[in-house]
Amino acid sequence: MDALTEYTLTASKYALIILSLLIIVRCIRSMLSDQYEGEVWGYLWHQSQTFTLTHWENLIGRSPGSDVRLAFPKISRSHAVLTRNDKGQWRIYDIFSKGGVWVNGVKSGDRGLPVVHGDLINIAGESLRFYELSHDARLDYESGRTVAGQGVSPSVTLFELTLLQLFLLLQHSLTSDGERLFSIALAFIALIALEWCCYNAMRVINRSGFEVETLAFFLTTLGMSVAASSTPDDMYKQIILTITGVVLFILTGWWLRRLGRTAAARIPVAVFAVILMAVNIVLSEAVLGARNWLEFGGFSFQPSELVKVGYIYVGASTLDRLYRRNNLYAFIGFSAFCVIALALIGDFGTALIFFATFLVISYLRSGSIATVLLAVTGAGLAGFLAVSVKPYIAQRFATWGHAWEDVYDKGFQQTRAMSAAASGGLYGKGAGAGWLKDIFAANTDMVFAVICEEQGLIIGLIMVLAVLVLAFFAVRSARHCRSAYYSIAACAAMSMLLVQLALNVFGSLDLLPFTGVTFPFVSRGGTSLISCWMLMAFIKGSDTRRNASFVVRPDKPVDDDDGGADDDGSGTVPEGFEPGDDPSDWEVWQPCEK
Amino acid sequence: MRKITNRALCVLLLAAAVIFGMTVYVLNYIDYGHDWALYFSRANSGSTGQLLDRSGIVLASFGGIDELFSPDAETRTANYHVTGDYWGRTGTGILSRYRRDTQDFSLLTGTTHIENTTLTLTVDARLNNKIYELLGSDRKAAVLVCNYKTGELLGMVSTPTVDPLDTEGEIPDGAYLNRCLSASYTPGSTFKLVTAAAAIENIPDINERSFYCEGEYKIAGVPVTCKAAHYTQTFEQALSNSCNIAFAQMAVMLGQDTMVSYVTQYGFLDTHSLDGIDCVAGSYPTEFVGDPELGWSGIGQSTDLVCPYAMLRYLCAIANGGTLVEPHMIAGEEPVTTALVEPATAAQLTQMMNYNVVDHYQGEENFPGLRLCAKTGTAELGDGDSHSWFVGFLADDEHPYAFVTLVERGGYGITTSGALSNEILQWAVANLE
Repeated sequence: MDALTEYTLTASKYALIILSLLIIVRCIRSMLSDQYEGEVWGYLWHQSQTFTLTHWENLIGRSPGSDVRLAFPKISRSHAVLTRNDKGQWRIYDIFSKGGVWVNGVKSGDRGLPVVHGDLINIAGESLRFYELSHDARLDYESGRTVAGQGVSPSVTLFELTLLQLFLLLQHSLTSDGERLFSIALAFIALIALEWCCYNAMRVINRSGFEVETLAFFLTTLGMSVAASSTPDDMYKQIILTITGVVLFILTGWWLRRLGRTAAARIPVAVFAVILMAVNIVLSEAVLGARNWLEFGGFSFQPSELVKVGYIYVGASTLDRLYRRNNLYAFIGFSAFCVIALALIGDFGTALIFFATFLVISYLRSGSIATVLLAVTGAGLAGFLAVSVKPYIAQRFATWGHAWEDVYDKGFQQTRAMSAAASGGLYGKGAGAGWLKDIFAANTDMVFAVICEEQGLIIGLIMVLAVLVLAFFAVRSARHCRSAYYSIAACAAMSMLLVQLALNVFGSLDLLPFTGVTFPFVSRGGTSLISCWMLMAFIKGSDTRRNASFVVRPDKPVDDDDGGADDDGSGTVPEGFEPGDDPSDWEVWQPCEK
Repeated sequence: MRKITNRALCVLLLAAAVIFGMTVYVLNYIDYGHDWALYFSRANSGSTGQLLDRSGIVLASFGGIDELFSPDAETRTANYHVTGDYWGRTGTGILSRYRRDTQDFSLLTGTTHIENTTLTLTVDARLNNKIYELLGSDRKAAVLVCNYKTGELLGMVSTPTVDPLDTEGEIPDGAYLNRCLSASYTPGSTFKLVTAAAAIENIPDINERSFYCEGEYKIAGVPVTCKAAHYTQTFEQALSNSCNIAFAQMAVMLGQDTMVSYVTQYGFLDTHSLDGIDCVAGSYPTEFVGDPELGWSGIGQSTDLVCPYAMLRYLCAIANGGTLVEPHMIAGEEPVTTALVEPATAAQLTQMMNYNVVDHYQGEENFPGLRLCAKTGTAELGDGDSHSWFVGFLADDEHPYAFVTLVERGGYGITTSGALSNEILQWAVANLE
């Protein structure tokens, strides 16, 4: 290696670290510290106070967790749910309350009653008047909200990412041989083109929140670099997979835009997932212990990766359905099927991910720690059974924490991962310059170590931080989602990715038993990359910052739809409610009869 | 919705777990990163340098365009188990394991390659050539020679061996096994040196005692036999006669716990490491066995197994007045010293081993001019064959060499290994500085 190459390589290492830091810091500022005001959809006026409706789904009840909290003894802890649909129609559901719910004197059941602007709602004797924000009033309110990307320009962040990709390409050009360089260069250029196309498409539809995509592209870039190091002959495949992933991300996001069809398609999706797993069990052949591959006309894919997306899709639920028991039972059945199916095909790592996600979803849905503990105990017993039946799983537990005692056999992968990761230091050896990449399965199961070796510990940590930032953002956004569906889906998707990350990284570093699952976006493995991109659609669905996400539809005037309920309702009140008005100045309020 | 959003905080628990795990990793990296990074020699590829013997003979040069060995086929072959190779065909050997000295590590930069590093070994390539010449290529044998004052390993040859550059020739069975480090053998009578040390320290009147041998002695009805009757003998004579009956009686007298504690203390059951190259552990009956078995274990039979390297350490300690200077192959490092044997015990063993040679092995005739202290071993394998051992050292400040010579299925200790050892030592005294 001549002196010039050496200097270029060293300089590019520092450039990569600085750019990664800039990207992550800009994303953190934009996603986690910029102003994030919720949306406002209407108001409920009660004689004690005015409640602002900031979601499409609002829980009315006595418990402190209610969105509209009425602390009266007659009112049940969770009494009623007031929801809005895509068409702007509001409905109130009595969720098995003791005191009952009336709208304009008509009693509501759990099938719900329509509610329109100005209606009088009686909650176990407490009267509330419902005011919907008119379209113009909403536009006014919207203009006061912070636009996503206002403080931290997404185009600058993306430009930094582009620079980072070019520096990585430069490193590969120094370390890879001439024949392969063309396909590697093409892959990076395709990636750059793809991200700028996405960005411009978002700008065209007036969307300015691009941090989730930027982080996903950042991780995809690292994955591309690992692919270029370890399997440079397969770069075309990697390009196609990335494009497929991004296209499916956009399609999934587009589908999620309408809550109605999203919720309605849960059962078909569940059925499809069950069929996919069943086909997997019947048709697949065992590859290295796990039979999680399916071959179709030369393309092999892992059905369980797609089922991950379906699992989140099915597991999330709107608020009104949460309070129907059989809904939860159906989900438990579906989960059990998925986990057992994965255990049958021998993919215990993924089974564990599903189970952890199941815990998160069931906690999000029920709020009951007892249920979760029960599930953990049950799974513990099942796990014990699995360990005693499958000796190679017991072996992995036995090796856990003792990898260095059997370097040539049971600790083979972990010790090599740790050695390579450490030999990279903070700055790494440069893309393509490591040795771990040549070890079997390094580019999937030990990908954190490959990145640490080639790019250094700092970028390795930033890679983990990127997933953490996405998780923090999902939690932050969950507070402002229109529907519980989006909150649950985003949190569950990020939990799934966090568990996957933990199993991958800590498994390869001997801090957890080695399970052989993939690192989100970075591990080589087509279906995994696609499913990670699709999961990002759920995060975008939760992002309700002003003009942020293409998944969140802007509010439109209601008359473009054929919904009749709101037309006759809105005429009965003389004028729209303006924020800041004192509701008590409004029309005379009449208590209704029970 | 507020309920759901409150519950969403559980995702933060998972995030906290990830952060905790990463923190643990970073702390581990700070503590152990150095060891991890330098563990695999592949991490070192890129360093350039040479591997030299103690007198500057090039054994290997690495990291250049070609990775080379000595131009002399005999040197390559004789020193194969010292150098190892670049392809990891043998797990032992410096090239398979050259992790220190050719490589730097810092937490900031990770591993860094060193240009033109020189790794000098304590081994004398010419001595190895001589040993290999004496052993021949057919025998399965292991020879170790070490300077017990400095811990410098001077010779290490295991046969059969291979020429690392010869890709055409037939590979003899077991050629990649370094018998000096990676094999353990029934020690036979050489093990009486351990029983003797325990007896010196635990049987108060051992030097006044006499042992009677009629050629057969029954312990709990099970006979222990000698080739011939030794009749009445002192402790010293019992060792030089290599009397099985006397040492079996001593082992029974000492009891199994005492025997196990000495075997353990002298490191026969440990996995030693020669410059990071792991040796195999030996074995000794540590679970309860009856007196007959204990008697046999005291004379190096039973389930006793000893790695030649462990035997060498013990001899080095005895020769150096009880203090072991840990043997090593890479020159220039401060060796670790351990008080392994009581000085008084070491002194008496030295005197007794010298008496062996003078009184019993016809020292003047068989080992002319050498101040030799030694012990033979003819370890019976139960199928009529025996391993031939000859172990000892020169009680000579000018030539402080300890050695282990073992020939698999080589017959009597004195005839096979004893003669080899004499040739090796004569050469070493004449040619080593």
